[in-house]
Amino acid sequence: MAVIVGENCIRCKHTDCVAVCPVDCFYEGPNFLAIHPDECIDCALCVPKCPVNAIYAEGDVPQDQAEFIELNREPSARWPQLRKRKSALPDADRWNGVPGKREYLER
Amino acid sequence: MSTAYERQPSPKSEAFLASVENSKYDRQIITGLQKFFDGKAPANMRDLYSPVELQTLRELRGTPKDVEKRMPVKVTRHYCEQAKKSAPMRTLIKATPAETVDLDGAPDPGRQMDYSPVEGLIHKYELGLIYVASTCSAHCRFCYREELIARKEVERPDGTMAPKGLAQIEEIVRYILKHNAEVRANGGTHPQTGREKLREILMSGGDPMVLSNSNLASWLSALAEAGIEQVRIGTKEMAFFPDRFDATFMDMLDKFHAAYPGVQLRMMVHFNHPDEFLQMDDAGGYIDDPAGGLTWLPNTRRAVAELGKREWLSIDNQAPIIKGINDDADALRIMQRELRRHRIENHYFFCGRDIVGHKAFNVPIEEAWRILNNSQKGLSGVEGHALLSITHYKGKTEVVAVTNQPIKGVAHSERGVIIFKLLRSAKDAPDKGKVAIAGRNPSAIWFSGYTDRVVFDELGLFDEYIALEKKAQAPTPMQLAAVE
Repeated sequence: MAVIVGENCIRCKHTDCVAVCPVDCFYEGPNFLAIHPDECIDCALCVPKCPVNAIYAEGDVPQDQAEFIELNREPSARWPQLRKRKSALPDADRWNGVPGKREYLER
Repeated sequence: MSTAYERQPSPKSEAFLASVENSKYDRQIITGLQKFFDGKAPANMRDLYSPVELQTLRELRGTPKDVEKRMPVKVTRHYCEQAKKSAPMRTLIKATPAETVDLDGAPDPGRQMDYSPVEGLIHKYELGLIYVASTCSAHCRFCYREELIARKEVERPDGTMAPKGLAQIEEIVRYILKHNAEVRANGGTHPQTGREKLREILMSGGDPMVLSNSNLASWLSALAEAGIEQVRIGTKEMAFFPDRFDATFMDMLDKFHAAYPGVQLRMMVHFNHPDEFLQMDDAGGYIDDPAGGLTWLPNTRRAVAELGKREWLSIDNQAPIIKGINDDADALRIMQRELRRHRIENHYFFCGRDIVGHKAFNVPIEEAWRILNNSQKGLSGVEGHALLSITHYKGKTEVVAVTNQPIKGVAHSERGVIIFKLLRSAKDAPDKGKVAIAGRNPSAIWFSGYTDRVVFDELGLFDEYIALEKKAQAPTPMQLAAVE
């Protein structure tokens, strides 16, 4: 079971979620965070923490973001663990809510 | 998690935190019942619920009797696997309709909110309890912190309703430093509460062992630097996922101990039944260990042995006595003996509190005493240390004895009496040792069952329940008007 980071994280990457994660299961890519599905314990504390509502409990992932389940699993196995909150990406505000960010995801 | 606090973390704590390694743990948790409903649970866990059981639970969904709403459902693969051979373990972990038949219970049992000066902290006696997690790897159905786990709203002292929040490091450290400075300035007792220095913290929740090594380390070093002398970690992870106690965790503990040798560490574990840690043959029987005693599950054995090697660390077991799980003197005897053999002290057994849904789980107080007493017949003094505790909001109370013979000249004692003794007072120490005695009530599951048969009460344990009863029996304004 897991909580999933969805599309709105791309190019925003606020990392408020990391501050509340008890198990440290966030892994950091260049412009996206991924949750490791095996390590996540479904506490869902990160879900309301994200200022741009990018995170979904597993049962709540919208249909059009179903691919993000794999887009969390695959990179979380190789990206470095992020344990502490850091600054959001510089253009986070500009990219919040922009549709179709999927193509910008840097793996 | 943030580690910033008013006093800057010392170079020592920075060095310690930088040295901590995390592991990736694969607990294979199933959260909720949806996967079972959809038939999508992994093959090795799918049969935990039968189709008939799932149908019944599905029908309760969205109704006031929804089992997941009362207490979220969660299980690890390790526990599920072992539960295949154990009815008590299945009773512990499986949601059933019985849990919501009677939703009577206190929304904040033990009135924790009265003792919460800072979010996520309960400060009673000279021990502080902090909620560092609002979930566990798996959920016991009888959990008495269900209002935290289910994120239910409770009433705060100021009258507002909000879910209980977790403790934040900065706030807790600030509180400890301020409280203890005030104690020092007042000659050793706090000017308002009369309490002594806050010197022990119990990390609780939920289960602190869901935290990563680095998050645990942040807490441990912050508490150490705030002057805390003893940190207890209350956890059931030893039963749910013993692999959590791996080399990286031990390494973190070792480094903590090296950096702060004066801080005592106590693992307060929670085993309810020996099935949780003993190997069983196909018939569900235990297996003799050629080295003595019974054979444990290898991962659990390893975890306990690793902790046990560290003589500066103590390990204690505490568990409630719950209907259908461990209301069984023989099982408890085996458990106390086996735990003690492996350097785990039997600390307390508890009577269930008056949580929402408690009638499904609680064993009558007198019955719990009888079971524990019987379980300790045949144990040595060293094995049989555990007391039966029942936590009144005034403090931790021992159920000392239950007698069976009438006492000449003593009202209410026709069938014998039950004797309670205060172990620790929630507000301050002086009441320790005081006693309350009531006439027998074999069906009583809470203090409220004794209001009409109090023999002696120097603590006022029954006062509130007597008052509540009087209020309930008093004629209503409408009834009074009818008489006039």
